[in-house]
Amino acid sequence: MLSMIILTITGVLVLFLGLGKGKNFILPVAGLGVLTAMWSYFHYNPIGDQWMKGMMSMEAIPAAFVGLLLSCTLLIIPFLNRYKLRGPGELGDFAGIILFAVIGGMMMVSHEDLMILFLGIEMLSIAMYILAGSDRRIIQSNEASLKYLIMGSFASAIFLFGVGLYYVATGTFKLVDFKIISPEIFAISIMVIFAGLAFKVSLAPFHFWAPDVYQGSPTLVTAIMATVVKIAGFGALFQFLRHQVMHTGEWYYWLILLVAISSMVIGNVMAFGQRSVKRLLAYSGVVQAGFILVGFLHLKDENSWMIVFYLVAYVLASLVSFVAIYFVESKKGSDDISEFKGLFFQNPFLAIVFTIALLSLGGGPLTAGFMAKLFVLYHAAGLGSPLFVVLALILAVISMYYYFKVINQFFTKEEEATSEWKLDWTYQSVLLLISALTICLGLFPYLLTQWIGA
Amino acid sequence: MMSPILILIIFCIFTGLVQLLAGRKWASYIGLASSVIGLLYFLFLLTDLDLQAGLMYPLEFKWIPGLEVSFSLGMDSQNLLLLLLVFLIMPVGQIASITGSEQKSTAYYCLMSLGQAALIGFFSAQNPFTFYLFFELALIPFYLMVLMYGGEYRRRAVFKFFMYTVFGSFLMLAGIIYYYTLLPDGGSNVQWATMNSMPLGIENQYWIFAALLIAFAIKSPLFPFHTWQAELYTQGDRPAIIIIAAVLSKMGLFGFIRFYPLCADAIQNWSYFLIPICIAGILYGAIVAWRQSIMTKILAYSSLSHIGMIAAAIFTGTVVGIQGALFQMFTHGILAASLFYVVDVIIRRTGENNIYGSAGMAKIHPRLAVYFFIIVLASVGLPLTNGFIGEFYMLWGLTEKSIWYGAFAGLSIILGAIYMLRFYQKSMFGDLQTEHEPKWHKLELTEDYVLLVSVILILSFGFFPATWMDLTQQAANHLLTK
Repeated sequence: MLSMIILTITGVLVLFLGLGKGKNFILPVAGLGVLTAMWSYFHYNPIGDQWMKGMMSMEAIPAAFVGLLLSCTLLIIPFLNRYKLRGPGELGDFAGIILFAVIGGMMMVSHEDLMILFLGIEMLSIAMYILAGSDRRIIQSNEASLKYLIMGSFASAIFLFGVGLYYVATGTFKLVDFKIISPEIFAISIMVIFAGLAFKVSLAPFHFWAPDVYQGSPTLVTAIMATVVKIAGFGALFQFLRHQVMHTGEWYYWLILLVAISSMVIGNVMAFGQRSVKRLLAYSGVVQAGFILVGFLHLKDENSWMIVFYLVAYVLASLVSFVAIYFVESKKGSDDISEFKGLFFQNPFLAIVFTIALLSLGGGPLTAGFMAKLFVLYHAAGLGSPLFVVLALILAVISMYYYFKVINQFFTKEEEATSEWKLDWTYQSVLLLISALTICLGLFPYLLTQWIGA
Repeated sequence: MMSPILILIIFCIFTGLVQLLAGRKWASYIGLASSVIGLLYFLFLLTDLDLQAGLMYPLEFKWIPGLEVSFSLGMDSQNLLLLLLVFLIMPVGQIASITGSEQKSTAYYCLMSLGQAALIGFFSAQNPFTFYLFFELALIPFYLMVLMYGGEYRRRAVFKFFMYTVFGSFLMLAGIIYYYTLLPDGGSNVQWATMNSMPLGIENQYWIFAALLIAFAIKSPLFPFHTWQAELYTQGDRPAIIIIAAVLSKMGLFGFIRFYPLCADAIQNWSYFLIPICIAGILYGAIVAWRQSIMTKILAYSSLSHIGMIAAAIFTGTVVGIQGALFQMFTHGILAASLFYVVDVIIRRTGENNIYGSAGMAKIHPRLAVYFFIIVLASVGLPLTNGFIGEFYMLWGLTEKSIWYGAFAGLSIILGAIYMLRFYQKSMFGDLQTEHEPKWHKLELTEDYVLLVSVILILSFGFFPATWMDLTQQAANHLLTK
């Protein structure tokens, strides 16, 4: 609880700093705030602690998601420095809103009560609607914000409907210690709530907003959508389902399987012909969400490490990808695939880290993505769905095709000589750190799995 | 104590990093030096070779804790020759990339060293999972190398190669995961050496072997999965192609050997259509090679033919067949690298990838002509060259299985002689056009050395095959005991 208070205070402070002359302090203060929040979260919260009369909890599993959420925010903050170039006051708003979104995410992943979950979702979503439209001079950004708002509100309404049904079926908003009065309504409520949360993590068939919003938003905001929102969404989904799964029937298995397969198939098919790399990664995000969902088959607390590992791999890779797209876009003015032509000969560093990130997304060996895919597929194979494993692997090959279509461009030399360009050392060192982590987790997965309790 | 194999792998990766930092001028020389040091160190390891000891220089540690998967390397009688092949071929690739006219970026040389590390890991892997890991990993450096340099249409060619192979290797992963889930202890103790003792039901063998068959047939390649080959060999960057043709094409075949104990019954039950398909591939490759006039395409189709023969010999499941296959994998590696190197030497002078482009070269470069002739004779399978022993054993094995297999596969020797001698005749003899003469500069010292060494290897393995045949016999016996 203390960590949320710290984050709130930091957020407000950052907003005020943006008004005055302290623009240079915004990012250090924000980073320090996140660090302090992280420290206080893990230091002052004995495992099993409950806050607000049991509406939120601190257990090992939410703690893993919260840690991931905060460290991911910490990795994004340095890149926000680029927003200093824009009008007065904008950086402060930007950083403050991100911090509020993270608080919403923390509420989502550690909820024990559906009211808290709803508050968290709204807090995160409203912040994201604003961020999506933050490039207000550009019409695509406005469009993205509006689309996100309308679709997101619709999803929230569906979610609330599910919460209502849940109340009818159990007579409480609590996730634990309840009695099911009407099993049918209870089943429907789980499905409806699942649909509402699936929208947030862009699982097919609830993914239609993702490509447009990813493409229209400023690229750094897209990076936040692909990382913070996904972590929060999957954390919430996990926290919600792990208490409910023992009350569900066989339909749960088929629901998860169906949504996972449809995400993988639809995402792959749609990503195939994309010219815009941001759209391509949006669809690839749908595929990855499908893979993460495989970890929800036969859900148990012991499986959580698999989901967390996959999220870590995905977050690391997509962070690098979107940041790299951001730099190329601001250099060349577009995220069309042809703008990446010859990237290796212009900026070898960026090309190499982007290649590692794309390899990890595609499941190339010795990257975190490979291990992550391996874990979930092993899990599925162990449950006796070999056909599903083969299907997932074939889809993984198809996804290799479009990742390598992008990588191919990096190593294609342009006819006319192009000038080389470099990144700041701060950006370089953060990107290097993330890439090194990706490779390290691919080589030695136990570095992470022992922390998250495999 | 550190395992020498791991030291070699780390050494190659380290070289790659040093090359990245060293800059354009030195990277290539560092790569060459490191590959030669690697070869010398490996030869030093061979000096206290103990054939009876079983697994040498083993290394094993628990790798992925949740899944009971371990990482395991080692040297045994089956992979020794192929590891030797890797260490022998890498310097050739390095030299070819130095003497190439175009200046390449540092990353290219770094990738070559990383590729060597992956290949060493692949051939010394001791369990299916490590095997898969390096199988996939070895692909990426060579993919990027060809992507960066080579002919005009290289991107299409290498992308096709990449997608084919990745498709195969993911199927292989599915097969391996399935195999591991079948094992009682989750596969924590799987080793090639102990695979015999854990037989699978025939139904499971069929599924696993089907997945592996597609993966390895694409990688080798076997007819009819060869369509990526000729295009890649023609368009690719030649130093990389030397290594791909010599070593990467053995990865699939080596996979058949490694997984033989696991799928022995499936292979035997299916051999009645697998071997005929392989023989069809042998004859198809030979006939197509006969009618080609592009040099690299001749070599590509001749590779297809030879590799089909090796695969057929493995599928016979006889001791002599597998012995011949193991030895021929090594031999074909040496010969393919030498032939591609000769083609590289010729193309660098004539600028044409056509057998008629270098007509009359024997008059200006008699030494090249002599080296080339010996290499051609070896690849035709003349006695007293290294090409003979492998072919002989493989045909013996095929004939043991059925006289018809032996007869049809034997045709490939005649066809091989036809297309290789045609290749030699058209490219070396014929009328010399006088305006060519000044462009065809002298044989450089490095080129001379590389060809000399390969000729020495060809003759010495041809004259003294006994030690190596003992080794392969031990390997084959070990593979076939239940």
